[in-house]
Amino acid sequence: MTEVRLNAVQKRFGAFTAIESIDLDIKSGELVALLGPSGCGKTTTLRMIAGLEAPTKGEVLFDGHDVSDVAVQKRNVGMVFQRYALFPHMTVEKNVTFGLDVRGLPKKEISERLEEILEVVQLNKFRKRFPAQLSGGQMQRVAIARTLITKPSVLMMDEPLANLDTKLRGEMRRFIRDLQKRLGITTIFVTHDQVEAMELADRVAVIFNGKLAQFGAPQELYQQPNSTEVADFMGASNIFSAKLVAADRAETSFGTIDIMSQPGLKPGNDVYVMLRSEGIDLYPESEAPQGAQNLISGKIKAREFFGASVQYVVGAGEDITVAEQSRRLLDVGQPVVLSVQPDRVWTIAR
Amino acid sequence: MARKFSNTALNNQLSGFQKVYLILIVGFILGPFLPLIIQSLAFRWAWPDLLPGTWWMEQREVSRMPLAWDYVLSPYSRILEATINTVVIGSIVTVICLAICLPAARVLARESFRGKSGFEFFLSLPLIVPEAAIGIALLMIFIRMGIAGSYLGIIIAHLIPTIPYMIRMLTAVYQGLGKDFEEQAMILGASRWQVLRLVTLPMLLPGVVAGALFTFLVSTNIFLLTFFLGQGKIITLPTLLFSKISGGTLDASAAGITLIVTLPGVILLIISERFIKEEAFGKGFGN
Ligand SMILES: Nc1ncnc2c1ncn2[C@@H]1O[C@H](COP(=O)(O)OP(=O)(O)OP(=O)(O)O)[C@@H](O)[C@H]1O
Ligand SMILES: [Mg+2]
Repeated sequence: MTEVRLNAVQKRFGAFTAIESIDLDIKSGELVALLGPSGCGKTTTLRMIAGLEAPTKGEVLFDGHDVSDVAVQKRNVGMVFQRYALFPHMTVEKNVTFGLDVRGLPKKEISERLEEILEVVQLNKFRKRFPAQLSGGQMQRVAIARTLITKPSVLMMDEPLANLDTKLRGEMRRFIRDLQKRLGITTIFVTHDQVEAMELADRVAVIFNGKLAQFGAPQELYQQPNSTEVADFMGASNIFSAKLVAADRAETSFGTIDIMSQPGLKPGNDVYVMLRSEGIDLYPESEAPQGAQNLISGKIKAREFFGASVQYVVGAGEDITVAEQSRRLLDVGQPVVLSVQPDRVWTIAR
Repeated sequence: MARKFSNTALNNQLSGFQKVYLILIVGFILGPFLPLIIQSLAFRWAWPDLLPGTWWMEQREVSRMPLAWDYVLSPYSRILEATINTVVIGSIVTVICLAICLPAARVLARESFRGKSGFEFFLSLPLIVPEAAIGIALLMIFIRMGIAGSYLGIIIAHLIPTIPYMIRMLTAVYQGLGKDFEEQAMILGASRWQVLRLVTLPMLLPGVVAGALFTFLVSTNIFLLTFFLGQGKIITLPTLLFSKISGGTLDASAAGITLIVTLPGVILLIISERFIKEEAFGKGFGN
């Protein structure tokens, strides 16, 4: 297993800076997602780890050793391309064994490892087919098998699920997760879908404009983003500007609320408060709890019904989005009271 | 397999109009050959007769000179020499052209550099400048260099109009190929040479074959440059044909030579058609 480390890595293409400076520390056996909007430099980062692109500055370390001078062929990495790049003139078998054939391994070992990997990805039936005769999910499994058979020490996948339909995506997600856990390969995958990143990854690196914005466990990014951009990208809806009147109280346009005090933030600071839409309790006005903390009254302005869940927009000085299980349905125009626990309010410096 | 499929598709799905249309097209392409074939078998064919008044076979025994096909196939016509010259020159031109154009097309398709669009325009100049102008200019140079009337001179001359086509064709093929496949092969551990041999060339094959075929056909059809630079010492099928018909009469032997001139192209087309289908498309490119 291999530990991957990026040390102040920068990448310029001519005058254009694709990656400003990225530090990344990926533990051995970890599954890390690179998450970010289109063009932020995710693919470029992968390509530098693979050796297809040389960093302009900084270094890439595998297990503490600088690999700048190690050729692509010798890095022993695996990469599944976004468009799979299966060789169209080779059968599934030939595609899968390519990495072993070029290494000149004995025929017997190649065929043993082929059988083994075809079993894992369940492609036995399709072994004689050409890529053009496969479905998207099958192609992807061929691409993964072709990479895994070489026993790479680092596995990279560039938007592995982008070309698949919703159902297949779910299946492939589970497949990749299981496989990665079973083999324990250090894995880095790229996505611009935050749900996918949170579901799959041990840790997520959010990249904006060639800079690492935040690197942490999914729940940390989701509940404690360090900037409004990250919060926004992770799908937060209620972010409001506020002013700290005490370490644990914030004045907002819908009233002064109790919050959890956070280190580094002092009274008088201008901040943002973030209220997770599923962390807010919603009561019809008549059932409002007595003496509870952080009561905000307002009126339902809109309702969106998703089947199992329902989402309301409540007008209360600001428009606050509230999500709950659709065990009951409140009507638009109904006066309501919102309540939010102080530990569900996250504060971001401004 | 593919052929059988398209046959049944023709029978089952073409409407009457489509069939008539197809027959018209086939007639349009093959039509001109019909009078040529008849002419090559005629001894005397005067307007407005639909068929020759006297056939070559009838005169064969009478005449003391070889007539029509007898002449064409006899050593006097020099047709064997011209055919060999044509095929050899065409093949060498094709190979050199490929060797020059493959790396060039790769760069044009993948890299961007200063003056690239200017260079691309420059490449298409030989297609714009009249062949006669190029021919005369080359002749002046080659005479000084002492390679006028030599194979070398003709081959160099043939490269001039063929390179622009070949580069264009291969650039398009390279653009369609994308870097992914080669990079993937490298990551999987393939050396540069293995990448070229196992991935790049097989994937470029249909385009390379098409480009080679085209180059060969263009080379075998070039008249003016060959005529100027061959200086009568080296004859190819087009120059032979020209010397035969330049008197203004299209007699039976000229018609025969004309038919022979079309043969290399037709044969090549059939070979490459099969080759491309079986080697590349049959293995899952097309469908
Ligand atoms: N070879 C190159 N030459 C010049 N610019 C490049 C090159 N490769 C990438 N870039 C630029 O670098 C930036 C980052 O590209 P990159 O492919 O890493 O984005 P990405 O995060 O993978 O985006 P996407 O989600 O759309 O794939 C982009 O603005 C891109 O235009
Ligand atoms: Mg990308």
